[in-house]
Amino acid sequence: MPVSSSSSVRLAEAGRTDGTASAARAATSRRRPRDGRRAERLAPYVLVAPALLIIVVLRLWPLALGVNFSFTGDGDRNGTSVGFDNYSELLQDPLFRTALRNVGLLVLLLPIAVAIPGLLATFIYLRVPGHRVFRSVYFFPAVLSPVIVGAIFNLLLAFDGPLNTVLGGVGIQPVDWLGNPDVAIFAVVGVHIWATFGMALVVFLAGFATLDAALMDAARVDGASLPQTIWHVIIPGLSRTIQFVFVTTMIGMLTSMFGLLYIMTSGGPEGSTYLPEYYIWFQQGHMNRPALASAASTALFVIMLVVGLLQVSLLRRAGRET
Amino acid sequence: MPRARLGRWLVALPMAVLALATIYPLMFTANVAMKTRREYILDRFSLTSTLHWENLTTAWNSVGMARYFLNSVIVVTCAVVLLLLIGSMAGFALSQLRFRGSSALFLVCLAALFIPFQVIMVPLARIMADIGLIDTYPGLILAYVAQFLPFTVFLMTTYYRAVPAEIIDAARIDGNSPYGVYRRIMLPIGAPALLSVGILNALFCWNDVLISLLMMPSADHRTLMVGVTSLRGQYSDDIPTFAAGVLIAAVPVLVTYLFLQRQIADGVTAGSTKG
Repeated sequence: MPVSSSSSVRLAEAGRTDGTASAARAATSRRRPRDGRRAERLAPYVLVAPALLIIVVLRLWPLALGVNFSFTGDGDRNGTSVGFDNYSELLQDPLFRTALRNVGLLVLLLPIAVAIPGLLATFIYLRVPGHRVFRSVYFFPAVLSPVIVGAIFNLLLAFDGPLNTVLGGVGIQPVDWLGNPDVAIFAVVGVHIWATFGMALVVFLAGFATLDAALMDAARVDGASLPQTIWHVIIPGLSRTIQFVFVTTMIGMLTSMFGLLYIMTSGGPEGSTYLPEYYIWFQQGHMNRPALASAASTALFVIMLVVGLLQVSLLRRAGRET
Repeated sequence: MPRARLGRWLVALPMAVLALATIYPLMFTANVAMKTRREYILDRFSLTSTLHWENLTTAWNSVGMARYFLNSVIVVTCAVVLLLLIGSMAGFALSQLRFRGSSALFLVCLAALFIPFQVIMVPLARIMADIGLIDTYPGLILAYVAQFLPFTVFLMTTYYRAVPAEIIDAARIDGNSPYGVYRRIMLPIGAPALLSVGILNALFCWNDVLISLLMMPSADHRTLMVGVTSLRGQYSDDIPTFAAGVLIAAVPVLVTYLFLQRQIADGVTAGSTKG
């Protein structure tokens, strides 16, 4: 966007011709000296400039830079163009493959991560006894740092920790929650869902606030059961909210588990808890492979775009059928 | 309808169990933080007989928690003040002032909202290194501002859109420049939104590890959450002291939540219903 003075002069002329400037504003500006009027015309640009500068330079520009960077080499080949080398290396890297497989797992677990807060929000909306308390208790872990949550669950899930003590009490063998490669990723994702379902819950409740109460009353008068009410009234009425929660929950799973992974498993055991975001951090911070990390970043961005668009289109189609 | 009432209690029971499961881990940690090592090894669950506050002081004095705490306070305060100032200025201009390109600028902010930090972190670290801001307070502050600004601009714009144009026209007739309108009208009117967005941004920045880890590599500059992870290595065989450190890091958020729950929830949901 040009923020030069010449464009603001054009802007001022446009403002005069489109007649939006009220008579009052015109009156005030007539009383002001010429340079004051010029300052006024520039005002919107001055107010927007810091935000625009930061967003363009520190968010949009790095995105372009990163994509470009992903086609260059690391180390000896620093700065030279290497085509798709980084991407083919990514696909052959077992760590990155695990990360992708874990993304697939997240997609499979997504319906659970959306259904739990959705169902709980329904009950809270229907005012089960204690709904106010439930609302604030459920939301509470969502404000804690993933590092704090991870640290707490490090204690709870330790091999000689409380959870295994309880399981032992009912005769179940202790589980190595964070040390068994087949279990660890489920443990971490489970903790993530535990920590964040409150966030989705308040979004659902905000959605319920927009739901037509007359429809709910009609369903009650007609003697609809709870599952019927959910299926025929709540799900169609909240389709936009459900769509929003699906997308934000998936994005949350792909981008806000770093703290948990960092403190709970550091990617282990045997690299089984890698996610793309952890892989990016590892290649950049530990392996000094920024170009490879950029390729992984670009891949993550594409995954997120695809997941987001797919979910929006799927849910839109589902919404049309009901 | 007695049957319906019974049903509601039957639903409330598992919900209460879940509520307990939600707060129990923190209660457990708080209890452990008050135990001696011996007590913890002998019995993990029993309530501690005496409160061993010295665990808190040990953790606080151990690996520079005080220093990390101060680092976090400095960085979060500066980032939030800047976010609110820059975000509300842009929000006011984008919602209330007519100028060429305003809707395109709003779209740019919206687009930036959907770029996760992980996607841009490598080039961002390089840019920060190039301008000499890696491992400095301004560098981390700027990184936080860049990360949460699109969200802040978006919420302030939608909030300010609801302000009637008559109020602004009246202020202009009284001789206010656009800057005057911003300072005398928009800032006070925006107070509730600024409070919500400010708390939310403060939480995001306070809770972050990834950005801080990337921008502040040296030990002296660690923020509190990165400090907690280093505490873990230090006290792997002294769980009560580790738990005490975790508790210290959680307390500011706990207190904020107890007093400002409503504002936090409002901030979280504001983007969802209007977006």
